[in-house]
Amino acid sequence: MTTVLKLFLSFIFATICHWACMAFFGEVGITVNVMLIFSMVVCAYLKPEFGYPTVFLSGLFLDFFGVKLFGCNAFVFTLCACAVYGLEKRLDFDGVIPQIISIFFLTLGAGLLNLLLLKVFTGFSAWSGFWPFAAGITLNAVLTPFVFKILRRVFALEIKIS
Amino acid sequence: MQRKNKRKTHISQGSRRRKILPVVFLLFALLLMILPLESPVASIKALLSYVFIPQIRAAHATVEYASEVNQTVHTLLNVHQENERLKEEMEQLRLENAQAQEIFAENKRLISALDLKAPKGWTGLWAKTAYREPTQWNSVIIDKGSADGVQERAAAIALKEGVPVLMGVVIECAENTAKVLLLQDEDFSAAVYAAPSKEEGLLVGSSNGILKMQYLPVLSNLQKGEKIYTSAASSIFPAGILVGEVEKVEKESEGSTAPIAQIVPAANASLVRELFILTNQEKQEKK
Repeated sequence: MTTVLKLFLSFIFATICHWACMAFFGEVGITVNVMLIFSMVVCAYLKPEFGYPTVFLSGLFLDFFGVKLFGCNAFVFTLCACAVYGLEKRLDFDGVIPQIISIFFLTLGAGLLNLLLLKVFTGFSAWSGFWPFAAGITLNAVLTPFVFKILRRVFALEIKIS
Repeated sequence: MQRKNKRKTHISQGSRRRKILPVVFLLFALLLMILPLESPVASIKALLSYVFIPQIRAAHATVEYASEVNQTVHTLLNVHQENERLKEEMEQLRLENAQAQEIFAENKRLISALDLKAPKGWTGLWAKTAYREPTQWNSVIIDKGSADGVQERAAAIALKEGVPVLMGVVIECAENTAKVLLLQDEDFSAAVYAAPSKEEGLLVGSSNGILKMQYLPVLSNLQKGEKIYTSAASSIFPAGILVGEVEKVEKESEGSTAPIAQIVPAANASLVRELFILTNQEKQEKK
């Protein structure tokens, strides 16, 4: 129950950060996906029973505020969560470098998959150019260690038990 | 055995859940993408918009605050720079003010000097006290020398409220500078007389700053408060230059029966910045 409450509050905090970053970096054309980082960090620290629903709801939450393909983010986020749980035993998520590298590639994959799904299901291309895309991925990767640090504190008890 | 089986079942249940959960969510997401859900989604969107309005506002407030912080830091940096600039300006103005005050005081002195219109028709030149030797405090270096017409044994006069006051005598003369021995020096001496008693004597300097008037007649009727002027008997100074005022008359002093008068100088040598140096003194003495 405590974990659910913590997840809920973290989710609320993540949404605020997501919109703040979107508004702040949106002015220069960069898209920072804080919700994706949050979801992946939750998967890195919590069991799948908590991870998958959180990831799915985070994606769905973005879909509700998106305009094109409903369910796209939920799908992509869930796939990314599968990747995190798959990498869990091979990567040490306590290190900053694995954190940055994993989120960098996950964001890259998520971005490309999003574009592909949009193209396939709606015929719409959301490609905003190479540099904004690359900058968004890089910024996501840079922000990752901070999110890991915050959530590590929040879920310290759950991490110890697992 | 039973426990082992139980554990095995537990592990297999966990791993099964691990596999089933993503599949369920992926399928559900795929369905959401495929199914025509525009109208229910729109309703939920509207509902969520209301639910999440405080968060959106909080996010925008955060961004605004962040931009304000940026502006505030920028303003603070500017204020710091401005503060530094103003400090420099203040320091400059302080220096200028000190200079202005010095110039003002000098101007005041020179105005009073101009009022004199060459004391008693004497010819000479005004010189500034340029330097004072720490080891010889009773002498000053002036910024005029032989090139300007200054000669050794020339009288150095200052003005006090428009009245010429004896300050000393030129003892060394270089091309552009000269050294003036002030009357407080023990080596200084001049023939003087007191007014109105007309008593004559020899004025000598003293290390304590109080001058002495020696060789007064035994039955001298010199009184306290009488003014002392240079005498016509002086070989160096023209007659009638104010020297000081009688402070005290000692009727009998050590080793002498003649009285000695203590004279307070008319001008404080340490405050004098300009001196009038007499030139062509021989001619003036003849006059």
